[in-house]
Amino acid sequence: MAGFLGAGRANGAVAGVKNRLKILRAERNWSQQDLANALSISRQSVNAIETGKYDPSLPLAFRISELFSMRIEEIFLRD
Amino acid sequence: MAMPVYMRRYMVRLAGFMLAYAVILIAGLSSQKALANMGAWPPIMVAGLTALPICGVFWTIYRLLVEMDDEYQRMLMVKQTLLATALTLGTVTFWQFLKVYGVIESGPEWFGVIWLAFWGLAAPMVRWRA
Repeated sequence: MAGFLGAGRANGAVAGVKNRLKILRAERNWSQQDLANALSISRQSVNAIETGKYDPSLPLAFRISELFSMRIEEIFLRD
Repeated sequence: MAMPVYMRRYMVRLAGFMLAYAVILIAGLSSQKALANMGAWPPIMVAGLTALPICGVFWTIYRLLVEMDDEYQRMLMVKQTLLATALTLGTVTFWQFLKVYGVIESGPEWFGVIWLAFWGLAAPMVRWRA
C-alpha cells in the first residue's frame, strides 16, 4: 500500500539528501517534540525529515541551520 | 503540543458550515411539500441554499491547505486531497458505465458527499507509514 501510494521519499525526490538532524538533536539532548516546537512544525514532520522520508524546503532548511548555528551543508549532505 | 492555529480555524469553520447545513437541510426537507406547489424558483433557491454550506466545507478544506504552515503536513494533505479526487472519479466513472450498459437506471449522484467520504478515508491511507 505504501509503495502504491508513492511513499518512500514523501516529496518525490529521486536523488535523496541525508541529514545529521538526529545526531545534532541528540547532542543537545532535545526530543523530537523540542525540535518541532523550536521550528514551529509538528513532531511527525521532524520524524519524517530525520528518517529521510521528507526533504525540507530551502526556507525550512535555513531555519534548521539557524537553530543549530551551522551551515546548511553541515546538516544536509548529498545521499 | 497545542492544536495549531490553522487546525483550530478549520474546526471552527467546519463546525459552522455543518451546523448551517443541518439546519437548512432539515428546514428544506420539512417544507418540501409546500415548496412543490410554489413554482420553479423557490425549490431552486432552497436547493442552492442547501448546497452553499457544502461548498463552504470545500472552501474550508482549501483554506486549511493555504493556511497550513507545516510543509510536511501540507504535503500529506495535498496527497490526501488528490487521492480522494482520484477515488471519487474512479467510482463515478464505474457508476456511469454501469448506467451506460443498463445495469442500473440512475447515473452518478452525490459527487460531493462521495468526495468527502473518500477524503476522510484517504487521511489514514496517506499517513500510514508516512
